Amino acid sequence: MTKLQAKNIVKHFDHNGNPVLALDGINLNVEEGDFVCLVGPSGCGKSTFLNIIAGLDKPDSGEILLNGKLISSPGPDRTMVFQEGALFPWLKVIDNVEFGLKIAGIPKEERRQISQRYLDMMQLTKFSDSYTYQLSTGMKQRVAIARALALDPEILLMDEPFAALDSQTRDLLLVELQLIWERTKKTIIFVTHNIAESVILGNRVAIFKHRPSKIKKEIVIDYRRPRLAEDENLLKYQHQIIQELKSEVIEQKKVSE
Amino acid sequence: MDGRKALNRIIFYVGIVAVWQLIFILHVVPEQVIPSPYSVGSALAKGVSDGSLLYGTATSLWRLAVGLVIAIAAGMMVGIFIARFETANQMVGSLLLGLQSIPSVAWVPLAFLWFGKTDGGVIFVTVIGALFAVAMNTHSGIKNVSPSLIAAGKNMGASGIQLITDVIIPASFPHLISGFKQGWAYAWRGVISAEVIFAVLGLGSLMNVGTKENHISQVISVLLVIMMIGILVDGLLFKRLEKIVMSRWGPSS
Repeated sequence: MTKLQAKNIVKHFDHNGNPVLALDGINLNVEEGDFVCLVGPSGCGKSTFLNIIAGLDKPDSGEILLNGKLISSPGPDRTMVFQEGALFPWLKVIDNVEFGLKIAGIPKEERRQISQRYLDMMQLTKFSDSYTYQLSTGMKQRVAIARALALDPEILLMDEPFAALDSQTRDLLLVELQLIWERTKKTIIFVTHNIAESVILGNRVAIFKHRPSKIKKEIVIDYRRPRLAEDENLLKYQHQIIQELKSEVIEQKKVSE
Repeated sequence: MDGRKALNRIIFYVGIVAVWQLIFILHVVPEQVIPSPYSVGSALAKGVSDGSLLYGTATSLWRLAVGLVIAIAAGMMVGIFIARFETANQMVGSLLLGLQSIPSVAWVPLAFLWFGKTDGGVIFVTVIGALFAVAMNTHSGIKNVSPSLIAAGKNMGASGIQLITDVIIPASFPHLISGFKQGWAYAWRGVISAEVIFAVLGLGSLMNVGTKENHISQVISVLLVIMMIGILVDGLLFKRLEKIVMSRWGPSS
């Protein structure tokens, strides 16, 4: 069953008063339970595309369908894990995880049960009464993931959530995220500029072309899980993507020269 | 650490009183200009024992509290409104800035003409002195909220009033506190100014009475009380609020 459908998404940016075409008709179909990575050079508009799916940004034309229904505003059925975490500093870890549940008007006891479950899943139980500044960057992203999952979204959106992490922490979270995906059977769209990351996580990797942006190619990664960062068998997939992106980088250079 | 801090403070104040006493003993300036510490002390004691200082303090603090609550509530509403609606900000932004620059005491004549010698007059000066500072700080606090926090709030289903109460206001809390602090300082100046000039009762009017009776010790003793209230409000209220912020946001803020 198709979970999410992006149809011909077009978006212009304003650059010193001139409209610049950023997304030039993006089409993407995501099946229920799929794990899709969007990879591309920085500034190619993949985060903008994710924001449009989240309803935080509006396309100039085109439409997003979730379970066949048109999406036009943000909603807890498409929770996002932001690059910088975007946790609320005035709330304890546990209250951060419960935020969306509270907004939804779910009674306190039920909220506690749900948040305990996800804090436990992300190994955060010890930190539930901490404030976010007391956590490392890796811990913050765990909280952000727990917070997004607690709302039991139709689809989980992740915007370069591991970009600021040191490599050991990232490798650990890459494995954990795969286990969580298998356990929760969530549909995930994961944006990254890190090719290795996209190959480890994605069932499919959609390669974004540089501005004006389109999906240049989709690669299916049919390989057993959990995949580890050091697995050499993943290199050939990485290589394929690098080849695709290389021409992009060269083109980008030509444009800027 | 804390003991050391307190000790330093005590040494400083004892030193001031000692110098003050010395000035008195050596007749550097006449007693009518700077009375002795003893004479100010006994004016304080008299004010406390006959109840005039306590009653005056209570009156002033009551006026301050009412004025400040109104100023904070109205100021926050104005600040939130102009932060959310850019057109409103373009219309009234410069007016607010101008109004904020008017010293509280400059509103006193108008307050007297409008309200006469009433509590309402004093409260008017208090409110109007503090309101614009609170509004401006609320506005800049909200403008400084990280867009990603607002995006996160919307993403998790918050919208409209809930987005304001559950995300935007708490996110701008560190900024709001400086607005409240500024607002309180202006409000306190407003209360005392209005009381000195026209009010019945209150600390300011006690000073006024002291001046008319040429009782300089009483004037100075009331000044001391006004100062002490300032120190107490800062220590009991704002230091605590700042501590709460620090315990959540972390020491960097």
